[in-house]
Amino acid sequence: MKRNPLTLVIGLVLILIFGLLLFTFQVRTTEVAVVTTFGKPTRPITEPNLYFKWPWPIQKVWSFDRRVQNFEDRLTEGLTRDNFNLLTSVYVGWKVSDPTAFFPRFADSANPIAAAETLLDQWLGNAKTAVVGKHPLADFVSTSDDGASFVAIETEILEAIRSQLHTNNLGLEIAFLGLKRLQLPESVTQSVFERMTSERKVLADRFQYEGEAEAQRIRSDAERKAAEALADAEGQATEIKGKGEAEAAKSLKVFQQSPELASFIFRLSALEDSLKERSVLIFDQHTPPFDLFRGVSTNLLKK
Amino acid sequence: MDAGSQALAEALRSSFVIVKVVMVLLVLLFLASGFFTVGPQERAIILRFGKAQGEGEKALLGPGLHWSFPYPIDESIKVSISGLQHVSSTVGWYAVTPEQMLAGIEPPAGTTLNPIVDGYVLTADANIIHTRATLTYRIQDPIQYVFGFVTASNAVQSALDNGLLYAASRFKVDDVLTRDIAGFQEAVRRRTTQLLENQHLGLVVEQCVVQSVPPRQLKDAFANVLKAEVMRSKLLNEARTYENQVTNKASADAESLVNLAQSDRARLVSDTSAQAERFQEVLPQYRRHPALFGEQRLTETLGRVLTNVQDKIFLAESAAGKPKELRLLLNREVPKPKTEEAQP
Repeated sequence: MKRNPLTLVIGLVLILIFGLLLFTFQVRTTEVAVVTTFGKPTRPITEPNLYFKWPWPIQKVWSFDRRVQNFEDRLTEGLTRDNFNLLTSVYVGWKVSDPTAFFPRFADSANPIAAAETLLDQWLGNAKTAVVGKHPLADFVSTSDDGASFVAIETEILEAIRSQLHTNNLGLEIAFLGLKRLQLPESVTQSVFERMTSERKVLADRFQYEGEAEAQRIRSDAERKAAEALADAEGQATEIKGKGEAEAAKSLKVFQQSPELASFIFRLSALEDSLKERSVLIFDQHTPPFDLFRGVSTNLLKK
Repeated sequence: MDAGSQALAEALRSSFVIVKVVMVLLVLLFLASGFFTVGPQERAIILRFGKAQGEGEKALLGPGLHWSFPYPIDESIKVSISGLQHVSSTVGWYAVTPEQMLAGIEPPAGTTLNPIVDGYVLTADANIIHTRATLTYRIQDPIQYVFGFVTASNAVQSALDNGLLYAASRFKVDDVLTRDIAGFQEAVRRRTTQLLENQHLGLVVEQCVVQSVPPRQLKDAFANVLKAEVMRSKLLNEARTYENQVTNKASADAESLVNLAQSDRARLVSDTSAQAERFQEVLPQYRRHPALFGEQRLTETLGRVLTNVQDKIFLAESAAGKPKELRLLLNREVPKPKTEEAQP
């Protein structure tokens, strides 16, 4: 039977595939891996690619998720420096950074990530208690700073957990950490509510009082301003009239040429002005031109 | 070779042909399985032996038909990008079941808040309030978003939780609830955006909506303050209206007072100067015949005046030469008309 070249090629390809399956492994971009030789970690791999290895049972590959894990720890109670009970919980972004260090600690457990988080939870609890105890409540909530102390608290917890991880060398790395909850013990909330209620009461009363007082002030201010404006105007008016009189007085020297004529003319015009409206006049016979009735003038005519 | 082995060889050959055809078909099928399409809202990344091909924008394959080697050589991963993602934070909200949420009912308020189930935040003046937020964002760097985090949306939510907590701890209760709602929302957005940037999540924040309410337990107390505030501004508005009226009226009155004085002044001055002028004119005539001039002016004036006088009463002298007695009954109720007696 003659050898068919195609059969040969297919055979070679099959051998190649089998060989690749035995001697190579892939590390995905989301993973880190460690190669163990007879159970001892010998080669950490942190870059994604295709790698060679000796087939099992000589070498074995352990790969772990290298992506950032999001973990939220338990709510724990701590005493602030000024003796307030405060419940805190933080969120942590962490990842496996060194598979060689991570492997011996957690490879045995069914879920290495969960096992690592259990450990983190304990250490975070300790770190929080220590940091909370160093700060007064005003560092957590206050209007007086721009959030620097809040950030400082987070940084201190982060530093504490990082140094803990460093000394234990678990192959973990904390990417970020932040406070997630900040609460009070349940029994305390009631007294906070009581305090808030009385604060509200004070505020409502103040608004009412302020409103009334302010409105009263505005009204009386307005009245005062109005009175001032009127008084001012009256002053101006008097001044204007005074000037007018002074101006008019300049004409006096014209009248000085003949005071008796001036007085006569003034009396005439006063008489005329006073009789402008509806009036009743009663005369006797001596008033000219009614003296005509007495016959003085008729005598003149008869003659 | 006998006929039997001939037939066997024939059968073997033909079955080899079938096997070959099947092999070739399988290889073709294997290669064809590398085709994939990318939708308009998606991008795809090809991993060759687990490693992303290309960097940054170049690694992303746009919409259309693409081909890569099938697994295990290449692996194509699709990522949704342009769709807006939403994340809500309820770390500061009281416990509410999904049914209650849908129906919009508040659960009954107890006297305390249990920290395990009821969320709330502490304000700068150590008040308890409820606040929740929804963040809308767009994925900008899918490689970072998908390959950097196990569940990136959880990381976003944590950042939003922290944003609320942080912003609340710097704002007073009244600012959060009434006076500076927008400022509080902006503070939450700023803090969250900053955290997300620091954490290199590869996304862009589009919108952040924050809702805050006082604790259910203190609803009435807070409502009363609002009522008092409304009442206060109503009182103030009324007072300001009154102020406007009073001051406007006063300034109008003042103006008319001044105007009146000015016109009085003008009239006085012009009257006097007119009189002086007339005086100048008649003075020479008077100097010539003082008595005659007087008589003439008096008579003329009386004549003019008397035409205006409504009632004229003439008293004749009695025979004895004494004036007659006259009794007048003045009606006080009509004040305007004047009664005057002119005596020469």
